[in-house]
Amino acid sequence: MDALYTVVYELRTIAEMADKEMSMSGRVPDRLKGAGSFLMKVFGTLAGKGSKRVGALYVTCQLFKVYFKLGTVHLCRSVIRSIETARVFDFEEFPTRDKVTYNYYTGRLEVFNDNFLAADQKLMYALVHCATSKVNNVRMILKYLVPVKLSLGILPKEALLEKYNLREYLDVVRALRRGDVRLLRHALEAYEDEFLRSGVYLVLEKLELQVYQRLMKKIYIIQKQRDPSKAHQVKMDVVVKALKWLEIDMDIDEVECIMAILIHKNLMKGYFSHKSKVVVLSKQEPFPRLGGRPVNS
Amino acid sequence: MATTTPPADAPPAEDPKLDLFEDDDEFEEFENEEWDDEEEGKDALQQWEDDWDDDDVNDDFSQQLRKELEKRSDN
Repeated sequence: MDALYTVVYELRTIAEMADKEMSMSGRVPDRLKGAGSFLMKVFGTLAGKGSKRVGALYVTCQLFKVYFKLGTVHLCRSVIRSIETARVFDFEEFPTRDKVTYNYYTGRLEVFNDNFLAADQKLMYALVHCATSKVNNVRMILKYLVPVKLSLGILPKEALLEKYNLREYLDVVRALRRGDVRLLRHALEAYEDEFLRSGVYLVLEKLELQVYQRLMKKIYIIQKQRDPSKAHQVKMDVVVKALKWLEIDMDIDEVECIMAILIHKNLMKGYFSHKSKVVVLSKQEPFPRLGGRPVNS
Repeated sequence: MATTTPPADAPPAEDPKLDLFEDDDEFEEFENEEWDDEEEGKDALQQWEDDWDDDDVNDDFSQQLRKELEKRSDN
C-alpha cells in the first residue's frame, strides 16, 4: 500500500506544479485535471473485494484535494457515493488518517450546502480524532466547524478561538452572546475578505437573526425587572429605540418585519398587533433555544 | 504613447482565475496512518457551550441597553 500512496501523492503534487508552470507561461493548465481523471480510475481498481480496498479512502482524499483545488467540488459526489454505499467497504476498516481527512472534506461540503447537522457530525468526527500535533489541520477543521456550531446555537469557548488563532470569530461570538447586532455587522465587515474566501460569509450573515433573538430577549428581561405585569408586551417603539442606539436606523415597518420573521422561524413565540404596534410574547418560553438544532427554514 | 514592458526577471502577475481556485485550507498530509486519540478526543468535546443563553443582564452591554431604554423619548 505504501508504494501506492506514494505514487498517488506524487502524481497529484507534480500535476499541481505543472499547472502552476503552465499558467505562468500563459498556457491553459490541465495536468491536475488529468491527474484527477487518472486517480478516479485508480479508485475504480481498488473498489473491489481484494485486500487493496483499504487504500481506497486515501485515493478518495487525494481526489478531494484535487477537486477542491480546481474548484470542481461537484465531482466529489460520485466518489462519496461509492464510499458510502458500496457494500464492499467497511468504513471502520480504513486508517484513522484517512477517516479524519475524509470527514474534514465531506464536512466542508455539507457546510457549502447548509446541511448544518451533517456538517457538525462530520467536522466533529474530524476534530475529535485528529492528531492534536497537527495544529494546522485542527485549526482548519475549527475554521469550518465554528460557523456551523454558531448556526446550531452552540458557542465555542473564547480560549479555543485564541489557542487556534481564529480571532476573526471572537466578535461574532460576542455579538451572539450579547445580542449586539452592530457588533456582528462590524465583525462581518472587518473580516469580509477572509469569510468570503473560505465560503462561510453567508452562514455568518444569517446569524443576525439569532442576534436579534438575543436582543429581544434582553429587552424582555429588562422590562420584566422593571414591571413584571407588563413584560410580555414589547412596544415596537422600544425596539426601534434600542436599534437606534446600536446605530441601526429602522422604521417601525422594518422592525415589524423582523418580528414576523423571528416568530415564523420559531425564535420568538407570540404575535404582534400591527394596530397597537406591540409584540405580545408567549408566557411560556418566549425565546426557544436552538440547543443544537438549526433555525427552521 | 510609450508602453512599458516589465523587466524579464520580474515575477509574472498572478492570474486572478488561478487565485480563485486555490484552496487555502488544504489539509496537511499526516505522517502516520494511526495514532492514539483517546485523550485528545475528550478535550475537543469540552470546548463548546450550549447553556450560554441565560437570563443574566448584568453585563456592560445589558446595563447600557437598560439605560437607553429608560431614557424618555424626545418627542
